[in-house]
Amino acid sequence: MNGIQKKIWTLAAVVLFIMAAIWIALTYYNQKTQDQYNDILQRYLRMNEVTTASQQTVTSLNNYLLLPSRDNLSQLEQSKEKLRKARIDVIELRNPGNEFALTNYMNLIDSLVETTERSLTFQSEKETEASGNAFSEADRISKYISEMSLTLLDAELKTYDRFYRGIIEQSAELKKLGIWLLLLITFLLLLFTYAFSLSITRPVLKLTQAAKELSRGRFDLRIEVESNDEISFLAKMFDRMRININNLISEIQQKAQLEHELQQSKLLLQESQLRSLQSQINPHFLFNTLNTLSKKAYLEGSEETSDLLASVAALLRYNLKRLDRSVTLYDEVRVLRQYIEIQKARFTERLRFHTDIDESCLYVQLPGLTLQPIVENAVIYAIEPEEDGGEIWFRIVDGADRVTVEIEDDGPGMAEERIRQILEERPVESEGGHTTGIGLGNVVRRLSLFYGCDDVIAIESGRERGTKVRLSIPKARESGKQDQASDRG
Amino acid sequence: MRKTVILVLGLAGVALFYFTFVSAGKVFRSDWQLPQSPGEKQARYRLVLITQELETPFWGKVGAGALEEAERVGASIEVWGSYGKNREDFLKKIEIAIDSKVDGIIVQGLDTEEFKQLTKVKAAFYGIPIVTVANDVPMADSLRRTYVGSNQYLAGQLIARQLLSDMGSTGKVVLLGDSRGEYYQQQRINGIYDVLKEYPNVRTEYAETTDAREQVISATQDLMNRLPDVQAFVAVNANTAEAMIQEIGRRTRVEPYHIYSFDDSHDSMSLLKQGKLDGVIEQSPETMGRISVNLMTEWLSGETVPLDSNGYFTEIRMLKAADAR
Repeated sequence: MNGIQKKIWTLAAVVLFIMAAIWIALTYYNQKTQDQYNDILQRYLRMNEVTTASQQTVTSLNNYLLLPSRDNLSQLEQSKEKLRKARIDVIELRNPGNEFALTNYMNLIDSLVETTERSLTFQSEKETEASGNAFSEADRISKYISEMSLTLLDAELKTYDRFYRGIIEQSAELKKLGIWLLLLITFLLLLFTYAFSLSITRPVLKLTQAAKELSRGRFDLRIEVESNDEISFLAKMFDRMRININNLISEIQQKAQLEHELQQSKLLLQESQLRSLQSQINPHFLFNTLNTLSKKAYLEGSEETSDLLASVAALLRYNLKRLDRSVTLYDEVRVLRQYIEIQKARFTERLRFHTDIDESCLYVQLPGLTLQPIVENAVIYAIEPEEDGGEIWFRIVDGADRVTVEIEDDGPGMAEERIRQILEERPVESEGGHTTGIGLGNVVRRLSLFYGCDDVIAIESGRERGTKVRLSIPKARESGKQDQASDRG
Repeated sequence: MRKTVILVLGLAGVALFYFTFVSAGKVFRSDWQLPQSPGEKQARYRLVLITQELETPFWGKVGAGALEEAERVGASIEVWGSYGKNREDFLKKIEIAIDSKVDGIIVQGLDTEEFKQLTKVKAAFYGIPIVTVANDVPMADSLRRTYVGSNQYLAGQLIARQLLSDMGSTGKVVLLGDSRGEYYQQQRINGIYDVLKEYPNVRTEYAETTDAREQVISATQDLMNRLPDVQAFVAVNANTAEAMIQEIGRRTRVEPYHIYSFDDSHDSMSLLKQGKLDGVIEQSPETMGRISVNLMTEWLSGETVPLDSNGYFTEIRMLKAADAR
């Protein structure tokens, strides 16, 4: 038995208790009043009994004196006995107000008995006159007793007047008490019932609201119900259900996200593959031709041209091979140098390339063909348009858990809008045909997919301030991400 | 808003609780406990003072003195009696007292056969001591233990002497006595006569009447008709003084007459203050009450046995109209 049932039982018990208390109090009070009335009435009755007994005694005596038979004698004895008993009863009626009178009263009864006996004695001794005198005296005493009874009753009425009034006043008070009690109980019961019903309906209401929220699809609101009954248990279970649903949903969402990413990287890969296929139409022919040209140039004594051709061939091969797998920074740097050599042959003194490389951190992994498109970008925008060329700085700096790669030029810089376009991987309009095939946008996308975070690449630029592209490459890749990355291959 | 509602409800609740508890307290408080029986402790003696003239100033004082003394010595006493000299009632009260077996009866003496019968026969039969107070009945007739009160003979002498000093040694004096011829009045008259008989020039005329107003008036008329040159009146029965003076006043002025009386009537003092009475014998009612109770208890406890059968006299003095004003 718990909870709501207990509450209902409690309410019933309280009401029952109050009713019982009132009933007991009223019964007690009634009994008390009745006892008081009884006591007082008893006193009057006893006094009256004395009067009756004394008169009866005198009557019996008279009867006996007139006709001295056994019957009459026994009757006389009986009434005398009654008188004695009445006298004993009267003793108990003493109180400070009537003590004197009551003593007299009892003595009068004694006198009556004595006189009666005296009359009897005279009668038995045939002294009729003395007997008659005694009888008339007894008669007088009997009258005195009657009178004294009245006097005593009078005194009693005076003494008990106060008590009667008290009883009447208290009856009036009882009525008032009844009204007050009724008001009090009504008040308390209303309060109690209100609190009681609220304690049941409030949790239910909360639960209803929570259910409504849930049905609207809000799973993040906690369901809190402060009560100690079944509803609280229900709410707890409901809350647990909500949490479970919430977890399930978020899991599903996560899965969907992964699915989406996977889809995207697949698309990206397809695009690059398409491009590489496009450029693969005759890459091997081109590669072989380039190698032949290089050897031919070498044989003809044009070593510089031979080297240049070798570099172009190496770059071409790298381009063909390394697009979809991770490489070390070392390979990237090597390819970069070859690319610079080619560009140097083109721009001669106009391209001034400075490197500052911390050799100790060339082991880090990164997606293939990352650096070359960036530097290519710098060459296209910072060197090519300028009459007297420009400078490009390339730095690799070791950090605590990342390796920073910076490519800086002193060209005209980029607009904010364009930087954002690049970083947010939005499609960029055609940049002209003289790239090796992979745009900056492609690099950014591949980096973010490869490392699973967006803060790998940062671009600082402004009008006439040059452009600085900074790559922060984590030294250790997260294992999960590596798996996904290798999945792609 | 919520706070206000809670406050109001709380106040209402407290008020209801308060009134309910006050009301319940009133209902269940049992201050109307019935008087309890006083236990076994009872007064040493139960005495009764019986008089024929309840509620007169004189007897009021006697009663007060007696009650005071009873309280002092630890006896209980009740004052019984009849109103306006109702003899039957008075005698009944005595009989009740005897039948009630009180320890002692202090009674205003009544010089009648029934009274003597009651005291001499019935009271003696029950062994209840009787002490007469204020008015005496001779011991031989009543078997009283003693008498407490004024020496009435001396009082008569005192009035006679005052009369002589006021009126001179010649003149006519009317003595208006009670036709019932009670002992104490007889004593007063004896006292007056004993003084006046030395003065042959003072002529006394004695008339008897009852207390009844018409009788007093007719007696006074008769006397004044017979003795037109009367100079002084003595109302031996104090209760006749008022009617007598009124009758004199109807005929002539009251002042020239020398009128004397006693203080044991309820209008003696007012008449004296109005100057209609020239002198009143003032007795000591409170002392009477006190001494009578005292002697009774002494006799009951056996301290003073027997009591002086001649009586214990209390102080009397002549109160003149000049003093009263």
